[in-house]
Amino acid sequence: MIKTESLTKTFRLYNSPADILKELLFGKKYHTEFHALKNVSFEVPDGQALGIIGQNGAGKSTLLKILNGVILPDSGTHICDGKTTGLLELGTGFNPEMTGLQNIYMNGLLLGMSREEIDQKKAQMIAFTELGDFITKPLKTYSSGMVMRLAFSVAIHAEPKCFLVDEALSVGDAYFQQKCSRKIKKFRDEGGSIIFVSHDLNAVKILCNQAVLLDHGEVVDQGDPEQVINLYNYMLAKKTEKMDTPVCQAGTSAEGYGNFQAKIVSLRMLNDLGDDVDYFVSGKPTVIEIDLISDIELEDITVGILIRDRFGQDVFGTNTFQLKVPIKLQSGSDCTVRYRIDEFNLGAGKYTLTVAAHSQAVHIDDCYHWIDNVKSFEVLSATDFLSIGLVRLKPEVELICRGAGNSEEVILR
Amino acid sequence: MNLPLLLEFTKRDLVEKYSGSILGMLWTFLWPLVTIFIYVVIFSNIMGSKLPGSSSAMSYSIYLVAGILPWTAFANTISRSAIVFSEKKAIISKIKISLPYLPLYIVLSETVVFIISVVIYLGFVLGSSSPVFAWIIFVPWIYLSHQVFAYALGFLIAIFQVFIRDLREVTGIVLQIWFWFTPIVYTTDILPKGVKEWFAYNPAWIFIKAYHDIFVFGKIPDFYNLMIITAIGHGLLIISYLLYRKLEKGIRDVI
Repeated sequence: MIKTESLTKTFRLYNSPADILKELLFGKKYHTEFHALKNVSFEVPDGQALGIIGQNGAGKSTLLKILNGVILPDSGTHICDGKTTGLLELGTGFNPEMTGLQNIYMNGLLLGMSREEIDQKKAQMIAFTELGDFITKPLKTYSSGMVMRLAFSVAIHAEPKCFLVDEALSVGDAYFQQKCSRKIKKFRDEGGSIIFVSHDLNAVKILCNQAVLLDHGEVVDQGDPEQVINLYNYMLAKKTEKMDTPVCQAGTSAEGYGNFQAKIVSLRMLNDLGDDVDYFVSGKPTVIEIDLISDIELEDITVGILIRDRFGQDVFGTNTFQLKVPIKLQSGSDCTVRYRIDEFNLGAGKYTLTVAAHSQAVHIDDCYHWIDNVKSFEVLSATDFLSIGLVRLKPEVELICRGAGNSEEVILR
Repeated sequence: MNLPLLLEFTKRDLVEKYSGSILGMLWTFLWPLVTIFIYVVIFSNIMGSKLPGSSSAMSYSIYLVAGILPWTAFANTISRSAIVFSEKKAIISKIKISLPYLPLYIVLSETVVFIISVVIYLGFVLGSSSPVFAWIIFVPWIYLSHQVFAYALGFLIAIFQVFIRDLREVTGIVLQIWFWFTPIVYTTDILPKGVKEWFAYNPAWIFIKAYHDIFVFGKIPDFYNLMIITAIGHGLLIISYLLYRKLEKGIRDVI
């Protein structure tokens, strides 16, 4: 169990170390205050994981440091019943000149293990790292992924009661990341408490039982991860709005290219509630609206959309020509093209949207206006079932059971 | 911080700087051996220095090394403890660790070096057929008294050093001056009258004198003075701990 009650932490920021001395000597204030945490309270029962999300500087790291005992809060209390280990201290005390095995001892001792405990678990730790013969080689010969594997292995085998996981897991290859996640989940299911700090919203959703949203050191929302993440995304969207970045300005070459006979002036991507946001839930209705104007009369306009994944691969694209919706524009008139997608069945992940206006099926003949990656958005896993991959197919499962003697069939949906 | 961790820190401190080298831990023995050898050879055989009133060729070397070995342990403990929080920043800022315990590994490490050095030194003394006196049994107590003092002072400086980085240099310079204001290289006989009395207030002189008494003059050390330095050491210990309690939050913030 991890429990905090109204944790508050204020840092004093000094311009130079000499200012600290001056303040001590003359009693005059030379610092500015930074409120890193204000009245943060939450509880993580045994066998549960709490996700902490928030923008950079929201106080996530400060909170972890306090829970870990590295810094002390100004007021408030925090209890962890048992040994607390943080993945944030991955590899603390590692010495590149020493072998992997020697480093296991130092790191294990730092994490509060006894020598006997390390002797006992050494074999398990080494097996988990899959380092093979490298374990007897100096650490300087390791790749960074190998160091991380060693560090994670020691941390998880230290058998803490409370585990603080930072962004640390984002290093290492996909195979090992998955191995680590499985180990973390196992740790949770065996009754450990986890605090998980991440910008990977999907990971938070999958791993955590509840989430806390921090903003400027304060708890803004707390509860079901999905609901908290939605609020977080809303906040991010608001922030982008305030920054007032024009989505696209027709006519300027920096924003797309084409002959601009027809121009895409604005674009909205709406979720099921009709809000223009940057995150969408897989499988929910989604609408893409594209506003178009033209200075001259155009008989034949095709408006297309193209969704790419984070590697720039085309995931889905189509246009009004294929969908057989011919568009004509009088000179000086405008129109809105609305793509209504009843089930936005993309897999969870980050995508970009490219939009274009041209003639005919493709943009080879007359390209009026083409804007690459005009919008980035994230698709979150749906709650009805989890899936991986780029698309969210909706399979129905049938189970056909056969008895030993007579052929009995049971079909389950 | 538990004992195994403290021992691991100590071990690392002694061995780590030589890790990757061929001779490895052997260097821990080679350094004091060579240092003592140089002092003995240069001062006794080449320069022919002798203690005033002594006819033994080895007398000055014995005097010099008897003072230098404890001083090295004492000064190293202070100067290294003073910067221990900056040195171990990577660990302190990531793992919960008791800050007052941290400098203890330096004390232990310096003690190991001191023991090795004294054994080598005694080898030289015996080898030159100079006498070794029974009062040597008091060495552990004398050592303990000045190391408590050194640890407390080092810890006290370390607390401030976190805020005032310059203390690293200041400590080095002060120790340098302190060394020359303590009769280690020279004897008190060369001091002018009036100055000599003031030396009684130098805590380092109290314990250096005790070593001289034991190793050079074969006298029983002055217990009254040793009690004083023991008391000062513990007093400093209390002061630095109280100060630490008051400043711990700030220290951890700055680190």
